[in-house]
Amino acid sequence: MTTQLPPGIQLEKVDERIMTLNVGPQHPGSGHMRLIIRVDGDRIVSCDPDPGYVHRGEEKMAEYRNYITNIPHLERPVIHDSCNILYPYCLGVEELLGLEVSERAKYVRVIASELNRFTYTLYWLAIYGIFLGHSTMFMWPAGDREFAIDLLEKLTGARVTHAYFVPGGVRNDLPANFEDVCLRQVNYLEKRLKTYGDIFYDNPILISRTEKTGVLSRQDAIRLGTTGTVLRASGVDYDLRVKEPYDVYDELDVHTNVLKHGDSYDRSKTPWLDMLESCNIIRQALEKIPKSGSVRVKLKPNPKGGNDEVYKRVESGRGSLGAYIVSRGKPEPYRVKLSVGSFRNLICMPYLLKGEKLGNMPAVYWSLNYWPVEADR
Amino acid sequence: MSVIAPKFRLGYFLKSLTDNIFWIVILLTLAGIPAIMIVLFYIDLPVLDGVILTPFLAFTMIFHPELAIPLVKSLLYTDFFRIAAFPGFGFAALIAAGTIFIERKLLAKLQLRVGPFYCGKVEGILQLMGDGLKLISKEIIIPAKADKPIFWAAPILFVATAAAFVSLIPVAPGWVVADIDVGLLAVFAVIGFFPIITVLSAWSANSKFPFIGGIRALHQMVSFEIPLILSLLGVVILTGTLNLSEIVESQSNYWFIAFLPIGAIVFFISMLAELERIPFDLPEAESEIVAGWLTEFSGMMYGLVQLGSYLKLYAFAALFVVLFLGGWQGPMVWPPFPEEIITKGIEAGPITVQVPGLPVTTQEMLNGTLWFTLKTVAVIFFILIPRGVFPRIRIDMLLSIGWNKLIALAFVNIFIALGLLYAGVIGPGGIL
Amino acid sequence: MGDSENSEQEIQTKPVVEKQPDLPKFEKEQSDKITAKFGSKTEIAFVKPNRIRVNVKKEDILDVASFIRDELNYDHAESVTGVDFPEAKEIEVVYHLGSYTDPHLDKQVLSLATRTAREDDPNPGKDSTRLPSLRDIFYSVEFHERECFEMLGVFFDGHPDNRRLLLPEDWADLPPLRKDFAIKGR
Repeated sequence: MTTQLPPGIQLEKVDERIMTLNVGPQHPGSGHMRLIIRVDGDRIVSCDPDPGYVHRGEEKMAEYRNYITNIPHLERPVIHDSCNILYPYCLGVEELLGLEVSERAKYVRVIASELNRFTYTLYWLAIYGIFLGHSTMFMWPAGDREFAIDLLEKLTGARVTHAYFVPGGVRNDLPANFEDVCLRQVNYLEKRLKTYGDIFYDNPILISRTEKTGVLSRQDAIRLGTTGTVLRASGVDYDLRVKEPYDVYDELDVHTNVLKHGDSYDRSKTPWLDMLESCNIIRQALEKIPKSGSVRVKLKPNPKGGNDEVYKRVESGRGSLGAYIVSRGKPEPYRVKLSVGSFRNLICMPYLLKGEKLGNMPAVYWSLNYWPVEADR
Repeated sequence: MSVIAPKFRLGYFLKSLTDNIFWIVILLTLAGIPAIMIVLFYIDLPVLDGVILTPFLAFTMIFHPELAIPLVKSLLYTDFFRIAAFPGFGFAALIAAGTIFIERKLLAKLQLRVGPFYCGKVEGILQLMGDGLKLISKEIIIPAKADKPIFWAAPILFVATAAAFVSLIPVAPGWVVADIDVGLLAVFAVIGFFPIITVLSAWSANSKFPFIGGIRALHQMVSFEIPLILSLLGVVILTGTLNLSEIVESQSNYWFIAFLPIGAIVFFISMLAELERIPFDLPEAESEIVAGWLTEFSGMMYGLVQLGSYLKLYAFAALFVVLFLGGWQGPMVWPPFPEEIITKGIEAGPITVQVPGLPVTTQEMLNGTLWFTLKTVAVIFFILIPRGVFPRIRIDMLLSIGWNKLIALAFVNIFIALGLLYAGVIGPGGIL
Repeated sequence: MGDSENSEQEIQTKPVVEKQPDLPKFEKEQSDKITAKFGSKTEIAFVKPNRIRVNVKKEDILDVASFIRDELNYDHAESVTGVDFPEAKEIEVVYHLGSYTDPHLDKQVLSLATRTAREDDPNPGKDSTRLPSLRDIFYSVEFHERECFEMLGVFFDGHPDNRRLLLPEDWADLPPLRKDFAIKGR
């Protein structure tokens, strides 16, 4: 072919032995992203991830909105973990504008952030069940997730896309009687989570499908720059809530779950252990929260930052989420960059799937705790 | 069914009515009457008490109670009734439909949800009918480059093979559609036909995902046929016959599962693999290859394939019951027919009606059917439950189970059977 | 600007020429090591608690990055950000580096920034805006640099695969994160 191809278009040669599969956006086993997998029989020869199906240009649009109207905008990459994705942004804006957050607001933020970890991780676990063909593993987490969503609805008014964190605190205070209801439901959720350990994680077929597949060694995990549960499942003890505590995490007792093998089984187990840990954190926070206080700081309209930049990071359900904000003295930020855990873990996909069997593809791919919408932003 | 209805005009409505009447009359006279004449010329009308049963006579008999019963009885013992209603296609389809509904409800309760709920007044009983109507009304889409004759024939072949399988199973003493002396061999032959149909339908669809699904189905079904057949050899050794009815007869004192539990387990697992049930539903693995070899089927073709699958499920469960659980054998719990009704007739107030020919069916037959149905339902229950408990297995693990572990266990089972036979415990000439 | 809330704050004021507020000690040590080795080729933009920023020219960035990786024990890059400065006709690329292996560096994030001249009419695949790729030094920047390439039009020399990642294949407009690309209707 001598015609000049437009930039970005590639020509694919059809090979006799190697078959190219588009595990594409319209596929029950791929989420909303496309994997171009080339298989030789049952072995994957190469895998080329093609994200960008849900790319909306969040970062570009953030430059047109001021610091406050950016809040419902920047939570859209992960709608059910919205508190965690707004967290570094709010911390950064507070540093830029020089705002002081009250103690009670910090505790409320911690509670909301941990509840969001529940909703995200339970949804992720449900989809993992579907990928493995286990329909009960979809129904039970999805049903139990309703309890966490109920709590968030009482707290923020919305089931997902809460838009709850504002620079300076949170949007509104805890409703009356929230602590008791929250404690009850968190206790119930913890009981249910423990039964998951029996029926899902001790299931011999699940173990044989996920053990020793997609093994990510410790050196590779560090070198590839992975983050979150993928990193902790490979033996690296790094959790931002412990290493770089933000808000009141230095007053709470957080235990990091580190597993050694780095295979898909460990990567699927670490988020579940993290969820059990979240129950403890919520209980501690509910005990220690100051009984009264304001939760919001009064802001002047159109606050402007100076000629400065800030980089803050937070541990979300998928890993460390960083927000890099550059401001140039206008009400709108000059540049907002969200460094999301899913995008950082994307590099594991071609690395781990090479040489794997095709049947292991769903088990490995989704165990990387990858949320396609967040990676595309 | 997708046409937007135009506004109603009485003239158009009357015109359509008269149109329909016109065409029906034309068809009946021009085509129906010659067909009846030809058919009546060739078929043999049954003889009842020395009188040939013509259609006129049949109509008069229906309205005469004492003449109707022998008519019904004679119809019950015709071949056509056996094939179509009991114990053939009608019975199997009824159990298959019940199985689908119970599966959905059972899974729902296991997964903390409700299942079919709105269709039909009581807990969604009419859901299947709704699904059937929906499938009939959908358009059947054939891929452009598909191999059309084979693609159209594949679901029909599937249902036909499943129906052939159903026809070999004895339900009650003397009630089997095809009483063959080598019944068990015929079962194996029919089972061996299923992988061919699957691969044909997958290949003719001419698309990547059905191709992968078809190859996986071929691997799975072929590799589990060997343990299936080997596990049944133990039963054949103990009874010395391949006739399914005789195998049931020889279980009158004990059930074979008591002596051959390993064979029963191997057969059960191989059965799950042949039926493509979870945990062995690789050929339809939804999350990896869309819907496997069923991807390109739509509308009623999909409905036929599902019907065939559930007929196969009933037939396998029935086979398990026949071979290991004693078929229709069971204590007599059906009450005997009251004697007075036979000799003196039914009395309702001042009227006494003498109805000769009662009872229509024998007590043994009803009792046998009852026990058979109960046992089959229990086995189907055990087949349905793993769907809520296990994820899907991977192809290489499946093949290692089928070729290594199950064949070894089946051989152990054969040795046990041989040991029992030569020790003189059971079998022909044994103490039991 | 801004007071630090960090507790590792109390130090003796170093005898520096300009009267600046007390700099955090550990971070100052790190930045001193860099200036000691490279001198005027690097410029320390700021030293804040847990955050250091080093500005480098694009010719020296490979050496500085290798030094940071080998001597200062930073082992991965957290993110790569491109910022467009049309008035200065430059595009700035900032690498945020972190460390998992060194326990002293748990909280530290070192921002390594470099600038390159910006062309007004980018031609993807044949840009004149070029930067050396840090992929051989920090493997984790591979997809981040691809995103920077498509969003800002910066070609990375030495990157094995300068290709579109998030944008659709038939994108024929300016690279979106440039300031002269305006969202329709705004």
